[in-house]
Amino acid sequence: MTFMALLTKELRLRLRRERSVWVIITYLLVMGLLGFGFLQRESAFSGGYQGYLLSQIGVQLYTLLSFVQLFLIVFIAPAFTSTAINGEKERQTFDLLLCSKLSSFSLLAGKLIAGLANALLLIAASIPLFSLVFFFGGVAPGQVLSALVVFVMTAVVTGTFSLFCSTLLRRPTVSTAIAYTFCVLWMFSYWIIYLLAIGSSFYGNPRWFIWIQWLSAWNPISALNSTLTSGAGGTGMISLHGLLLAPWVAFTLMSLLITLILFLLSIVFVKPNFTNRFQSWIRPLGEKLKSPAKDTAAV
Amino acid sequence: MIKVQNVYKRYRSVHALEDLSLEVPQGAIYGLIGPNGAGKTTLLRILGALLSPTAGQVWFDDEEVSRSPITIQRKVGYMPDFFGVYPDLTSTEYLEFYAGIHGVARRKLASTITDLLELVDLTSKRDAPVETLSRGMKQRLCLARALVHDPDVLLLDEPASGLDPRARIELRELLRTLHGMGKTIVISSHILLELAEMCTDVAIIQGGHLVIAGGVEQVTHSLGGTPQLEVRVLERLEDARKLLQSMPEISQLMNGNGNNDVIHAEFTGDDRALHRILAALIAQDIPVVSFAPRKGGGRLEEVFMSITEGGSAT
Repeated sequence: MTFMALLTKELRLRLRRERSVWVIITYLLVMGLLGFGFLQRESAFSGGYQGYLLSQIGVQLYTLLSFVQLFLIVFIAPAFTSTAINGEKERQTFDLLLCSKLSSFSLLAGKLIAGLANALLLIAASIPLFSLVFFFGGVAPGQVLSALVVFVMTAVVTGTFSLFCSTLLRRPTVSTAIAYTFCVLWMFSYWIIYLLAIGSSFYGNPRWFIWIQWLSAWNPISALNSTLTSGAGGTGMISLHGLLLAPWVAFTLMSLLITLILFLLSIVFVKPNFTNRFQSWIRPLGEKLKSPAKDTAAV
Repeated sequence: MIKVQNVYKRYRSVHALEDLSLEVPQGAIYGLIGPNGAGKTTLLRILGALLSPTAGQVWFDDEEVSRSPITIQRKVGYMPDFFGVYPDLTSTEYLEFYAGIHGVARRKLASTITDLLELVDLTSKRDAPVETLSRGMKQRLCLARALVHDPDVLLLDEPASGLDPRARIELRELLRTLHGMGKTIVISSHILLELAEMCTDVAIIQGGHLVIAGGVEQVTHSLGGTPQLEVRVLERLEDARKLLQSMPEISQLMNGNGNNDVIHAEFTGDDRALHRILAALIAQDIPVVSFAPRKGGGRLEEVFMSITEGGSAT
């Protein structure tokens, strides 16, 4: 009940804002215009769509839309959660939440789900655009589903990290800046390190290879690439401690684990006086353990 | 009953509360009086289990606040000094949200909100966005929010600050109604006259220390803030002064603040004594045009100003 009350309030507040409508319109316009521009260019280049060329165009269009969608999600998801907690503190409504039955878990889960609902709404709104690709062929429904999983997990990780920042940091501007810095590093660090290492002596080192595999396994671009038929080397399996996994599966598992860790850390930090609360939980246990010793001393 | 025992609160080098002890009787309207920075808000936040004291204990009946903060928060309705609202919600949605997070059952939700809006006289604004309400209305809505889970204790931090005189009077009447409903109300303010008229008990805090605490009459008497009598006459001022001086219930005559037709006197009797004084003035045919007994609030304010003079903010 407490969780649902928070979720209802958050969704009411977010979806009533004019900004939400404009974000969806802009998002779909960007995706649609890019797809339209691509088709125009291909049409002019090939002088009409024929035979197997149609499926090639379908794959290329799908690849373009998928990567644009991934970048838009990373750009938009932090905006919905990076001020979720410190924004309440700034609005001076946080104390009122603390004086309620709302648990730390319900508070964070409500904020995260409401924030992600916006990102998921964008992903859902883009599905009809993606469906256009099926007219051209070349893309299997399974590929689209695995890409959707990558999109959702990317939104969940960026959303949870942003929520963690808003829990830990007092100022909304700082938490937003740090959340976006993380997103940029998360997207590109693997590729930058990879490119820098190609020419160096690290490249043939087996230990280095393990590290780069871990980095690659948790990179959204690599994960999305692995769901595309035309991805350069994207269809290869990743071996993590002897376990062979498709890159997007490895990405999903690692993202779930990291989301869980970030969420638990947020629970620890969201309410003040964690040390006192922790002590109040363990104090009765300590007293129970101490009492026999006291009795012995009295004797 | 709320019992505060030897509470200290320190923020690094700042000592917000120092060895503070007091008792709030059940069903009281308890006023916390002190200048800005005296530690009133810190004490209210400790009472509401929003802050832990550095040392000392706070008891609600037989429950210690730091051991069972969640239980205490369910018993308490807290209204902070500065509070935010969600401007895009309507008054009903605002109360629905807080009722929901306080675990009010869904079947009771509609009736609870209707009753609360009626109590705070905002029924006509039930569908109005919160941002369109005046400050006084927002304050009343916030009070309704604090009552949404029917708490036994209300902690109100400067509820009248920033309100116009009419809104203050309305708030005061509302608090009296709540007192009549058996709620214990702890209210902080620096407007002494208001608290003197409304509270059953007061505590004066300065620099984190308790200066004095107890029933209003007791504190007023301890600080020398005895009730006053103001008498205005058309003529024969000297005769009136002599007559008042001869009355045993008049302890002292004071200056009439520059008015040559007004007498201020310190008065220690009851209503019967007041009647005797008025009858004596009329029997002497002194033309009395105004006869106004006052509680000791005005004097209490003077005494409060003198004892807190130069107090350092903490």
